[in-house]
Amino acid sequence: MSTPDAGLLVALVGNPNTGKSTLFNALTGLRQRVGNYPGVTVARKSGTCDLGDGQKVELVDLPGLYSLAAASPDEQVVIDVLSGHIAGDRRPDAVLIVADATNLIRNLFLASQVAELGLPVVLVLNQADVAQEQGLRIDTELLSRRLGGVPVILTSAWKGEGILEVRRGLAAALTRRAPLRRVVWPAEIVAALADVAQAASADTGKAIPSADAQRLLFDTNVSTAERLGWTPERREKPLRAARERVRNCGYNPMAAEPLVHYAWLRTALEGVVTEGLGKAGRTSAVDRLLLHRVLGPVFFLGIMLGFFASVFWLAKFPMDWIQLGVDWTKGVVAPSLDPYPMLQSLVADGIIGGVGAFLVFLPQILILFLFIGILEDSGYMARAAFIMDRLFSWCGLNGKSFVPMLSGFACAIPSLLSTRTIEDPKARLATAFVVPFMSCSARFPVYALMCAAFIGPLYGPGWESLVMVGMHCVGLVFAVPTAFVLTRLVLKVKPQPFVLELPRYQLPKPRDVVWRMWQNAAEFVSKAGTVIFAITIVVWALSYFPRDAAVAERIRAAHPTESAELVRARVQAAHVEQSYMGRFGKAVQPVFDPCGFDWKITVGVLASFPAREVIVSTLGVTYSVGEGAEADSQDLRKAMQDAKWPEGPRAGTPIFSLAAVLALMVFFALCSQCGPTVATLAQETGGWKWAAASFVTMTVLAWMVSMVVYQVIIRLT
Amino acid sequence: MNLEAVIVGAIVGVAVGWLVRRWLAAARRRKAGGCAGDCGCSAKLKK
Repeated sequence: MSTPDAGLLVALVGNPNTGKSTLFNALTGLRQRVGNYPGVTVARKSGTCDLGDGQKVELVDLPGLYSLAAASPDEQVVIDVLSGHIAGDRRPDAVLIVADATNLIRNLFLASQVAELGLPVVLVLNQADVAQEQGLRIDTELLSRRLGGVPVILTSAWKGEGILEVRRGLAAALTRRAPLRRVVWPAEIVAALADVAQAASADTGKAIPSADAQRLLFDTNVSTAERLGWTPERREKPLRAARERVRNCGYNPMAAEPLVHYAWLRTALEGVVTEGLGKAGRTSAVDRLLLHRVLGPVFFLGIMLGFFASVFWLAKFPMDWIQLGVDWTKGVVAPSLDPYPMLQSLVADGIIGGVGAFLVFLPQILILFLFIGILEDSGYMARAAFIMDRLFSWCGLNGKSFVPMLSGFACAIPSLLSTRTIEDPKARLATAFVVPFMSCSARFPVYALMCAAFIGPLYGPGWESLVMVGMHCVGLVFAVPTAFVLTRLVLKVKPQPFVLELPRYQLPKPRDVVWRMWQNAAEFVSKAGTVIFAITIVVWALSYFPRDAAVAERIRAAHPTESAELVRARVQAAHVEQSYMGRFGKAVQPVFDPCGFDWKITVGVLASFPAREVIVSTLGVTYSVGEGAEADSQDLRKAMQDAKWPEGPRAGTPIFSLAAVLALMVFFALCSQCGPTVATLAQETGGWKWAAASFVTMTVLAWMVSMVVYQVIIRLT
Repeated sequence: MNLEAVIVGAIVGVAVGWLVRRWLAAARRRKAGGCAGDCGCSAKLKK
């Protein structure tokens, strides 16, 4: 018996939510994000799969899809990979098809299309445990015989069951190279397909495989024709004639493929699945409550409130511990640099103060992603998309658009990439435009700082979570009318149907949730150690230089009776004010004055345009009060609470009034302050026009709303 | 110029240089059709 060589490529395909990514993880040992809503896999993910006895293959995890009729760019990627048309990637040697064992006929539609490619196949029926729970019995041997002798394996990837059998099946498939049995087409359709293949071949000079002929005949999408170089002028007549031929044998050409495939599948599955007594219906019972027209949104809001309250409550002590660590480090390092005041300020106020102020939010980020992981893996996130679809469909964005918007609450960049799942280019553009409005996790430290320093101490912990939820809703509140204007008035997007598969509820797998939490923590810490670290040094330099020694003399002479400590604080404040950053902040501050921002906040806001979380470390530096003082987050909060307007009509009043705090939070909720997001938007929309429009719209909107919030609240309080 | 100023200048210079280099690398990645994000992934859709 020959054995498969190392270097063989196997493609993993299947419908969304079949546990494909979990199976990929189990087979390769690599970790991958496990989501519950459709289209979570966008990028190419691959890993080495050991088939036993040292045989290894490369396994590629492809985006989930329902059919080979490509409608969206990521579906097109799957077709291109399977047909070997991805530049730099070879055609797979075999296909591992993952189907949901609880819904075989619908899942096997894709498998029956893959059969046309003639590749060796292993059919994995995943979620076998759920099928068993529902009382379904599947005769895999009979199914294997009906499908041409390909290995058919029952698995429960979530529990790690059947993985060894998949490895063995894959080794057998690569050896025997048996493809899935193809659908038997009516004679007239076979003739129509032959006509299409012949005409395309004559026009393009290429041999046309039957899979391509089917795509040309049945799809309205022209990607296959474009790939083959079959021009619209040349293809129009033969395609019309072939479709007429299909119509003459009683089929609508656009519906012929699913009709023939499902008829064939119904015959193939006869006697394969038997239904016994099961306990189906648990998910339906819970859904009756959680998806209720009135109770659903109430539950959703309650879950979100509990979610943020827990983030604050659980993170409090670990945050204090990190704070102690930062203070200790500063206490050890700063005195040793006493002879070098400039270096001491750089290390203590700049690096430790700035990076420490950012790092202190690590526990909140960890808990945030823990809860997001639990919500996603439990199956609730898909329900949230469903609830929001009902609420916001009037603005022209359906649930499919809302899925990237929902994941935008974690980070806008992968969400922008995931808009590739939206078929209509206009709907995709509108979605990409509003995704940056979603309150990503980088905004979280800003809200957390403001809530911990002002909202909590002033109004109690309950208000902290309420303000947090409110801030996460602000972006959504403005995204919806923006989307409305874009979809209805500017782009004129046609309404699209939305089909969302609601996965069953399940206990989140601790390993996956913890792994995702760990990945996000590692990213957060790595950001603190690289980008934030570098930016902090630059911000420190700009707020330290130039330094005029005469300033200190003048202040000492002007305040001869004040204590040395007070004079030193005045000198420090004067130095920061005269620094490049201070001068720049003061020059620009009049623009932000109607929003209630002083020059230090203005500096923070301006420094945050490349990455919004920089505000925390920037405030950590600019609000550091004298050499050796603790510019850590706790002290940052204290320094911000004590900060008062030095002059003007507001002289002596707190800079961080309730109005200014809310105005600042709203500004950060709406402003486009993320360089990579703007760049990704430009990349995904094919130019800088929409990216620039998004940047200007969001920034102007942020300023206006922030100004209104400040002016209204300052008059009411 | 004293040693302290040289050390501080070097640290600030390295930080600025690193940020500029990183920004240029991201621009190159974008130009090549790659992901412009900070994730370091190789997400790329071939046309």
